[in-house]
Amino acid sequence: MAILSRDVYKEFEDVVGPENITDDPALMPSYFNTEHAAIVLPGSTKEVQALVKLCNKHKLRFRAICTGWTGMFPRGIVLFDLRRMNRIIEINEKNMYAVVEPYVISAELQAECMKRGLNFCIKGAGSNCTALLRGHGHMDQTTSGDDRNHLAIEWVTPEGEIVRTGSLGSSDEWFCGDGPGPSLRAILTSAVPPGVTPGVFTKAAIKLYHWPGPTKFPVVGHSPRYTLSHIPPNMMARYYSFPSVEKMWQAEIRIGEAEIAYELMGFNAAMVAANITTCNEEDEAMFKRLSREVQGPGFFIIIAGNSADDFAYKKKVLENIVAEAGGKSLKTVEDPEIEGILLCQCIRISASIRETFRPGGAFNSIPIMGQRDLTIKWAIGAGEAKKPLIEKGLIVDDGGAFFGWGVEHGHLGKTEIFCKYDPSNTEAKKAVEQWQKEQTARAFKERYFALTMGDQTEIGPALSNYHIWWQKTVKAIDPNSVTTESGPLV
Amino acid sequence: MGLEQYQGDMNMCCRCSCCKFIPMQKVMGPQFSYACPSIAKYNFHAYSGGGRLNIASAMLKNGFNYTDKLLHVVYNCQLCGACQVSCNYAMDMEVLEPITEFRFKCVEDGKTSPALDKAVARLRKTGSMLEASGRRGDWAKDLNLKDATKEKVDILYHAGCLSSYDKDAQKLAKTTAQVLQKAGVNFGILGDAEMCCGSRAYQMGYRDDFLKQAEKYMALIRKTGARTLVTGCADGYHAFKVLYDKFNFKKDLEVLHTSELFARLIKEGKLKPRRKVNLAVTYHDPCRLGRLGEPYIHWQGKKIPGDKFVFDPPKPYRRGTNGVYYPPRDVIKSLPGIKFTEMTRIMEYSWCCGAGGGVNESNPEFSIWAAKERVREAIATGAEAIVSTCPWCEQNFSTAIKEMNSSLKVYDIVELVARAI
Repeated sequence: MAILSRDVYKEFEDVVGPENITDDPALMPSYFNTEHAAIVLPGSTKEVQALVKLCNKHKLRFRAICTGWTGMFPRGIVLFDLRRMNRIIEINEKNMYAVVEPYVISAELQAECMKRGLNFCIKGAGSNCTALLRGHGHMDQTTSGDDRNHLAIEWVTPEGEIVRTGSLGSSDEWFCGDGPGPSLRAILTSAVPPGVTPGVFTKAAIKLYHWPGPTKFPVVGHSPRYTLSHIPPNMMARYYSFPSVEKMWQAEIRIGEAEIAYELMGFNAAMVAANITTCNEEDEAMFKRLSREVQGPGFFIIIAGNSADDFAYKKKVLENIVAEAGGKSLKTVEDPEIEGILLCQCIRISASIRETFRPGGAFNSIPIMGQRDLTIKWAIGAGEAKKPLIEKGLIVDDGGAFFGWGVEHGHLGKTEIFCKYDPSNTEAKKAVEQWQKEQTARAFKERYFALTMGDQTEIGPALSNYHIWWQKTVKAIDPNSVTTESGPLV
Repeated sequence: MGLEQYQGDMNMCCRCSCCKFIPMQKVMGPQFSYACPSIAKYNFHAYSGGGRLNIASAMLKNGFNYTDKLLHVVYNCQLCGACQVSCNYAMDMEVLEPITEFRFKCVEDGKTSPALDKAVARLRKTGSMLEASGRRGDWAKDLNLKDATKEKVDILYHAGCLSSYDKDAQKLAKTTAQVLQKAGVNFGILGDAEMCCGSRAYQMGYRDDFLKQAEKYMALIRKTGARTLVTGCADGYHAFKVLYDKFNFKKDLEVLHTSELFARLIKEGKLKPRRKVNLAVTYHDPCRLGRLGEPYIHWQGKKIPGDKFVFDPPKPYRRGTNGVYYPPRDVIKSLPGIKFTEMTRIMEYSWCCGAGGGVNESNPEFSIWAAKERVREAIATGAEAIVSTCPWCEQNFSTAIKEMNSSLKVYDIVELVARAI
């Protein structure tokens, strides 16, 4: 049964045109199996603004999605699918930023950037997600992560006002998120729950970084086994395993201090196996092989030189650091075919799904931020806690491993741990949810910031009662309560 | 079993949107990054491979709630398989099979498209989906070709409905026959006795009509004693090589596309392209010769209970890896004077010409829209001509080029080979 009256529906239709709105119940399963009041496809900021104003007029709650991978969507909202807003507005090489609309995916922007000797932070979820997404990714060592990469933003507020932040507030330039002009960083890039800014980002400037690699990778072969015809000059990918976590961390921090890694990703053996294999059966065999090859925990690293001399220097420093920490290079990854696969995939961020969804169809994760050596200690505990689930056959066997990486060559970074499982197995699902709940609670108790922490009223008291201020802020910018609060969007 | 057998696959969809785009490593910018014509045109997620699986899965659980909009989604898909390739770069799951099964289900439930009903009714009545004037074998008049129903031949040449009946497309059949004659190939045709392969009925969702055609036609083919069948139609190629195998009609019949045969003949020195063809060209991979043209692999097995989506024995997925990509390119590159440039979307992640899946018949505007996208991509290479290996592609490109007032030329590969020998 239609949620909107025909008159109200018509008002929305008048904004986007009849071909860009639907409330057909048969189509709703493709939008998170939720009964939305309507799905609308705005094509411009002006249309978004008009839709938001209509939502206020009729007191209808709304939420916007980009590619819409995940999210929580209450029944009856007006869902803005931003698919038609897919333009790269500008790539400013001189000032090193790109301005994009929400449906530009990272693969598209990255390809354009690489042609210009530039790159940006692609989030770990993958290059199939919006380039506008805030978060962390494989290249955090070089490209930083999270809100550091958002510059000026064009934002349609929950009341339908268009706010242009940072330098855009006082000029038509996008180079800075904080001025000259209004800086609303704390509101616009909220890192704590609800994790989503009320309203809609319609354009954002993303910070760009120097890219020392080729204008495009020499990819050959056919899907699902794309390889590189050759390793691009002055680039190298390796996986090193270490005798202990302490030794691994010691090497990681020294590599950061030396600023030699283009990418340092603390993959475990299971994730390397998933990346380089083309199906689950192959993955299983490869994991067994790599588990025999590694001596302990490890990381994947990419070195990229700006010249042959720069590359030689970085390689030498890396080899010294690894040797001093007792690290061992994985022979499998030294194979140029495997090295090429990883090099390309881990810069173009094109195989995250192999690591997460392919084995069982679902995964639950606990990502935590903080000082790497401390968060690793927490993750070891979380890994131990998932071993009984592995033994019972409820989750995919990855050896109880975790992964993570430092940001900006520093001590701070992200540590994360997965449980991969078959979502149709209710016992497995329940066990994984319980594991996630318990380990998140432990993180909170031990004063780590985990993205899976509970409701803001639950955690607010431990964080200077930020939630009271947040709620007041939301009330001020959303007096009609038309925005929804739920998890972060991918 | 029908759609039900794919419930597990459909539940595997994680809604990552990869099915909308070409494989991420192949994305070269915002231009030409889309793989699926349907989502590129209609935008709602329901039109993507993943969206279709989400809907089919929900309807299996909650009942089939047909609406006009839903049927618009179902029938505005070329079943080109690009979603399957992009998904299967990372995932182990069937995508195109459940989408096709969902269409079968719609037809079984009487939820059809009037335009497709009409085409299938014509097939039942006349043996062809095309509005035929004249006789099927008229194209071969005056060519003095062997009648395979009367003479023993090594190779049976199947012209296909379009090249038989369509006045513009008949040149492909004629030229192919002339090239084969020059190469001294012992081949024959069925002439008026040739039948529709049934491929397009299958694509439109009329499985039973396809099966009837396949059974009848294979009986006739077997009667000729020919061990090899050659066709220049990608739809026909896919039917004979893949669908006939899937439904156990093919047996040991060797199926070749003309481009494969030409490549073989050039390699053996039986065809010698010597005359210059001074032309800058690009090549379009037809979906049913390229990614969908890879061999069918018979498999029977069960999911191993447990944490992973694995099967006993391991399940081979048709990911587009082994399609027919190189023989057409080898032929083109062997022609003197040709300057060959690739488009952005090629081989397993090629963009569809728009003509498949019954879209040509049910929604010509969308069909030509897809063709125009491809023409724009061809023009971007600087080519003077787009070359294909399927009359349906050529027909769609010709219409698109005309509507765009473009100077781009369109050729089938046989036309270029004929010019060079």
